Amino acid sequence: MNRLLRVNYQLYAGIFFVTVLLFLTLFGPILAPHTLTEALETKYTNGTIISPPLDPYTSKEWPLGTDKWGYDLLSMVLHGIRYTVFIAVAVTVIKMLFGTIAGLYIGTWKKTPGWMVAFENAWSYVPLFLILYFLLIPIPFNSQIDPVFLVFYFIIIASIISIPSIISSVRQKSAEFYKSVYVEAARALGARRSRIVWGHIFPQMKESLLVMFILEIVYVIAIMGQLALMNIFVGGTFVTYDPLMYFSKTKELAGLVGQARGNIYGSHFILLVPLAALLITTASFSLLANGLKNRFQSNYQRSPWIKTGIEPRLMPKRKSYSSTKKWWKLTPPQFAFLALILLFISAGTYVYATKDSDIGVRNGSQAAYNLSLEMNKDGEFSTEAEINVKNQSGEKWDELVFYFIPNSFTEGHPFKNVKGFSAVDIRTVKIDGEQTEFSLAEDTLKIALDSPMKNREKRTVTVSYEFTVPEEGVRFSTVRGNYYLAQWYPMLATYQNRAWNKEDYSDGLETFHTGFSDFNVEYSIPSGYSFVSTADKDGKLEGKSGKVEMEYVRDFFIAVVKDMDIYETESQGVNIRLFTRNNHDKDPEKALQLAKKALGFYQDNIGKYPHKQLDIMFDKGQFMEYPGIVTINPYIEDDKFYEISIVHEIAHQYFYGVVSNDPYNEAWLDEGFTEFATNMYFYLAEKQPLALAQRISENRMKSIEEKGLGRQHSNLPLHENKHSGYIYGQPALKLTEMVKKNSYQRENEFDIVVMEYLSDYYHQFRYKEVNTEEFLKFTMNYFKVPRGSFTDWLQTEE
Amino acid sequence: MRTLQQISIIFIFVLLLAALPATIVVKPVLGDGGPDSSISMGLEWHPEIVISLAGEFINTISSGSLGTYSAGAQVRNIEDDIADNFFTSMKIMVVGVNVALVISLFFGIFVSRFRPTKVFNSFMNALAAVPDFILIIVSMILAVNFYQATGVRIISLRPDAGAMNIWFPMILVGLAPTLYMFKLISVKYYQTSGEDFIRTAVAKGMKLNYINFQHVFKNVEPFIVAELTKIISIAIGNLFIIEYLLNVSGITKFIFQSSTSGAAAYSFQPVAIGLLAMLAISFTVYLSVRLLLYLFKWGFIHE
Repeated sequence: MNRLLRVNYQLYAGIFFVTVLLFLTLFGPILAPHTLTEALETKYTNGTIISPPLDPYTSKEWPLGTDKWGYDLLSMVLHGIRYTVFIAVAVTVIKMLFGTIAGLYIGTWKKTPGWMVAFENAWSYVPLFLILYFLLIPIPFNSQIDPVFLVFYFIIIASIISIPSIISSVRQKSAEFYKSVYVEAARALGARRSRIVWGHIFPQMKESLLVMFILEIVYVIAIMGQLALMNIFVGGTFVTYDPLMYFSKTKELAGLVGQARGNIYGSHFILLVPLAALLITTASFSLLANGLKNRFQSNYQRSPWIKTGIEPRLMPKRKSYSSTKKWWKLTPPQFAFLALILLFISAGTYVYATKDSDIGVRNGSQAAYNLSLEMNKDGEFSTEAEINVKNQSGEKWDELVFYFIPNSFTEGHPFKNVKGFSAVDIRTVKIDGEQTEFSLAEDTLKIALDSPMKNREKRTVTVSYEFTVPEEGVRFSTVRGNYYLAQWYPMLATYQNRAWNKEDYSDGLETFHTGFSDFNVEYSIPSGYSFVSTADKDGKLEGKSGKVEMEYVRDFFIAVVKDMDIYETESQGVNIRLFTRNNHDKDPEKALQLAKKALGFYQDNIGKYPHKQLDIMFDKGQFMEYPGIVTINPYIEDDKFYEISIVHEIAHQYFYGVVSNDPYNEAWLDEGFTEFATNMYFYLAEKQPLALAQRISENRMKSIEEKGLGRQHSNLPLHENKHSGYIYGQPALKLTEMVKKNSYQRENEFDIVVMEYLSDYYHQFRYKEVNTEEFLKFTMNYFKVPRGSFTDWLQTEE
Repeated sequence: MRTLQQISIIFIFVLLLAALPATIVVKPVLGDGGPDSSISMGLEWHPEIVISLAGEFINTISSGSLGTYSAGAQVRNIEDDIADNFFTSMKIMVVGVNVALVISLFFGIFVSRFRPTKVFNSFMNALAAVPDFILIIVSMILAVNFYQATGVRIISLRPDAGAMNIWFPMILVGLAPTLYMFKLISVKYYQTSGEDFIRTAVAKGMKLNYINFQHVFKNVEPFIVAELTKIISIAIGNLFIIEYLLNVSGITKFIFQSSTSGAAAYSFQPVAIGLLAMLAISFTVYLSVRLLLYLFKWGFIHE
């Protein structure tokens, strides 16, 4: 006979599908493309309207289509499958365990009591699903009982009511084996009941018990399906009365089928998708059970004497006791099984490890910086920057693009805020050690590549240059002998949407966007100066040279200062240092206390501060945030603004330092969120009335009104923006308004929900880049609000 | 005596089942009593309610009435309305299960050796792996699609559609028992055919058909009888779903009308009567199958 026909395909297919099923049980929700509350919105693209219910296979984003309300069917199935499998397996384990043990022992009794047989018969008359139905209808729909409780309630009662039938069938088989000669022999030799049961009867039955176990899983799923058709869903039913519709709370597969039952007359696929999922689930287990049964049958079955229509195809598998097999000599099925297990583990690891990779905006360029900085007594710096660039964009690069901001401030620059000017001289630019051409215009440093850089390729760019720092500049500045070096090195631009994302430097808000990078910085400075930087461990303040490092930050700021007083404190393990001179009217101690309180508030309510140290530099200049260090100007009159700014820059450590965004195109995401978090600090920690806490934002909007600027979206690029109020104030106020209006969706009051929202947002996008679309997706889902509720302040169409 | 015991146990059992929903009470469980403590719900079980319900039930029955049920806002006597529903369900069940028996015996034993039947057999085996309720839904979808494609109506969801309303449910009710019995019979057939007495028969030169009738069937029949209660129970389980989905005014309607979600809406009397009627139907089906088997033996098999 053909050997291919003798393969037990059912067994192998069953094992494979059950493995896949278990995989989905573990990782289903991670694999789901959408959340359960994320709905397809009606869209009008290229002359066609996309609206729910969406047919399967029409959209890549919604592969199996959506239901009438726009919820993704595939995601529902992937979320539900774990409930179905878990419940079915749990019920089966419980009932098989108790049923088997009881049945085995009862089978060895001399006589089964009459009442027991009568009970078993009576029990087998009544369909089990009916008993469950009567046990479950007392639970009202929309009840406030916890779904988890209801799941366990179901597991327990479903197990209990199906134990009698298991006992019955195990008992009958056990009694039959008990009559056999070898049991009699064992008994004659003095074996006790337990020994007979476990040593003689159970081994005979374990194969059929295994088959029974798997078939019972299918049976439990079938019962859940029957119940679901009666609108009783495991884990609770949620019902709406106008129109009358039933929803499963757990999205368990049978429940999904039940809740889609109404689609039998119309959009069939809404019903067919969960039905198919359920069918595949049960079919996988059935295949496995059948495959096992075939194998066991082929081992024990006697061949028939007449033609029966069933022909034994499988060869029996005999155990060979005599030959000692080497463990590494695997037969093909064993090898395949091993491969399957390895595949399961590796795929699981992969899925788990990359579960967050689709969150946020991707940046195709990556850089690691080794910088060495030498400063002489005249304030001239010479630098060698070694930048390890990696292409992870999936495309070929012909050039590398860097921000080189010091070059913007050379003599004759147009920026009025910058009093002095800088001198910049790039000596050499090398790629992998070979000198190469470059072009430098304003703050754009472009390096053409001789050979294109492929995806995943790494190259090392070395730039040696000298520079001086402009007097009272912006960020990159020297003030009374102190040097503040911000964006002082060539910073690799981000590569997004198949192009280098590099905008020209302009006055005002930040125009540069960088990814997260590692930094190693070596420095030597004249004596009398101290080196303070982004790094967590700055080395001794009086040291003339040193080496510092910092991982995964967006920028590396250095302050080279002298004659500063230091104030230090600590908040939850984070060291706070404040550097100041005493020629201003602000109290450094008070500022330090404010910083400590603000940081503590954010640590408690948003999340862990990303670094070990926070430095605060008091000097003339801008109020600015850098990773791990902020600059504050204590020489301004406005005390209120000064205080708010301290909190503001600390909040930036979260919403800029960790949650990244493109500051040129979508500045509102860090500035708006930071202002929002700042307002909430004054509202919740300082217990100011909300109107007072938000005064700064209100004032910005008032100023817009006074200037008659009208309305503008917050998420416009800087060159289109008419007023910074649209970037700072508008989002802060609108976010407050939105949380206030929708905090009931989170079943809590505003004060709690608002910080939970900030914290969840922060944790969702930690070390990711967020854009308006990602913000919308997260927030719409979080508060179950439609896109339309943002249109008055955000450009929501892509 | 044994049968009597059996029947009384089932009778009590059914009554208990009908009383079950009334004994489970959903109660709010208060937290620690503070103003912030949230209210959660818990379940309580009050088995003592059974006794009062049983007393009430016996009182009503002994007064010569089956009691009342409420259809919407109307309160009606059960005995006025139950007959139609009862006979509808009974027709569906009797025909469904007996057809199932005939088909599975025919294909499982008597023609199972022929090549065309093998295709049918493997088809049946594949179907047997699918849970019944999925088969029911899929057949409904197919029927709807069939109507949409051809305009020929094979199902009706109106409760007053007469014959249209009854034959599709009959097929659906018969489906699961057919699959179950077919599987059972073919396995037993295969096992029996390996026995020594079959070898003897073959050795004596008996014809295959003769062996099938006189030897195999007689040895398979006890298994069918033993599994009959299970088969009927499967059919009943499906009857509930089919009558519900296809809107047939059968006996299950009685049960569902009076047992909607939440214990408050639950009424014991019609549910108990409905379940007992169900029991009567099962018993009738059981007798009808035994009768069919007896007639078959009487006609074809001579001792």
